[in-house]
Amino acid sequence: MTNGLDPHALRSQFPILARTVHEKPLVYFDNAATTQRPHSVVEAISSFYEHSNANVHRGVHQLSVEASEAFEEARESVARFLNAASAKEIVFTRGTTEAINLVANSFLGASVRAGDEVLITHMEHHANIVPWQLLCQRTGAKLKVAPMDSTGVLDLEAFESLITDRTRLVGIVHVSNALGTVNPVQEVCVMAKAKGVPVLVDGAQATPHLAIDVQALGCDFYCLSGHKMYGPTGIGALWARQSHLEAMPPWQGGGEMIKHVSFTETTFNEVPHKFEAGTPHVAGAIGLKSAIDFIESVGVAQIAEHEQALLSYATEKLLAIDGLRIIGQAKNKGPVISFVVESAHAHDLGTIVDHFGVAIRTGHHCAMPAMQFFDVPATARVSFAAYNTHEEIDVFIDALNHARAMLVP
Amino acid sequence: MSLDQLYQKVILEHNKDPHNYGPLDHATHRGQAHDALCGDDLQMALVIEGGVVTEAMFDGQACAVTKASASLLTDWLIGRPVHELASDFEAFKAMLADPTQRPVAHLGLLNQLQPVGAFPARRGNACLPWIATLRALG
Repeated sequence: MTNGLDPHALRSQFPILARTVHEKPLVYFDNAATTQRPHSVVEAISSFYEHSNANVHRGVHQLSVEASEAFEEARESVARFLNAASAKEIVFTRGTTEAINLVANSFLGASVRAGDEVLITHMEHHANIVPWQLLCQRTGAKLKVAPMDSTGVLDLEAFESLITDRTRLVGIVHVSNALGTVNPVQEVCVMAKAKGVPVLVDGAQATPHLAIDVQALGCDFYCLSGHKMYGPTGIGALWARQSHLEAMPPWQGGGEMIKHVSFTETTFNEVPHKFEAGTPHVAGAIGLKSAIDFIESVGVAQIAEHEQALLSYATEKLLAIDGLRIIGQAKNKGPVISFVVESAHAHDLGTIVDHFGVAIRTGHHCAMPAMQFFDVPATARVSFAAYNTHEEIDVFIDALNHARAMLVP
Repeated sequence: MSLDQLYQKVILEHNKDPHNYGPLDHATHRGQAHDALCGDDLQMALVIEGGVVTEAMFDGQACAVTKASASLLTDWLIGRPVHELASDFEAFKAMLADPTQRPVAHLGLLNQLQPVGAFPARRGNACLPWIATLRALG
């Protein structure tokens, strides 16, 4: 069925997948909310705490040296994974949300003026809406929104026409968590660059599914979350061109981000440390490196091919169900399917399939404007990862049919 | 907790064929409640005369539990004095929170919703029509 990836073999690396829910085998289809972690990631974290735990960049003792080396190795690993020019371009954050807030506050915060514009798209996650809204409220800048069509595809022509000489930044989601749409980030960057506008890409949903090359994409900022890509929660990264990081002021003050402090003046540390105030999430970064090792050991291309096969199979099965409508029908999609069923509320569908062991997401998926566009208060969403199987889709479809029988008049 | 305990017959029937569902053009009082988590959006419309509810309808998009609760509530509200509704809601919440509690006589058929209390994530759904009702009273 797939070339090279055996999901059944992979599953043994994920202890949680062996558990039951409501006395049924767990079918975990909420991967866009968070993936599960392989044993190797959990082991990397506990091994750090049990063998090398110390603060980083502070001590001369052996443990501190080991911790600092492991932390900086993790940075190198993220840089390689994104094909960054240098590890200095990787700032560790709590996740994508914090990375976007960092850019909103530091990159634009000091320089944006009333009347300036930030351009985003209609399919953004709240994480790529609210930080810009807060910035606009504070400064008098304007938030502009590029439209999408009824299949959930960005209107590129309209997007281009919305870039003006007041546009200070474009923010765009690489893969929509609510619709699955893969945006043409490279084309968007060409359009923005033609008018000298920097581009921030929300990559939270892209890194577990696509090979990412920030240099080829042509963007200026790329944000990711560890927990969406088999890594720990509480760790993520911002990639930014070094020239931007050098020019940006710090956004949080504290230890680690300084070179010298007196009561009259502080000299800031070099990039990326200038943006990492306080003791960082060392174990998280080490766990993130382990997650990247996992993805690379399986193969990004193999994962993508397997997930696309699951996406096609599930799409076909779902479309055969009476009264079911898929929200987001772009040709180029990540392994995410949002849907609504006539006369059956998403919340009830979610509760009922849960009792068959199937974990799906229901609600607005932190993308309320996208839901409003499609005029649905909520959708049910299944999202796949490398360890999911075709058999699990069959279990889900049976559970969904059971739910319909209970709910639909 | 079994699925049948939440989706008992009364909830499924009221979900498929809700009572008092639709617009009430001559309402004297209207209230709305929204549950951002699940996307329920519910409007209650009441006619209140002499301090008593004489007509009640609900409208909007909602899950089965919210819909069944609204359906039962709009039946139950008729003839109820509005000044008692806030304390009635407290009695309803207490009934949901304690599965061992005996039926509360004056809540009548609303006692049928007690099994929802065993699903803490869904108690809010049963309460949403009450919240819209109390908002209608201002």
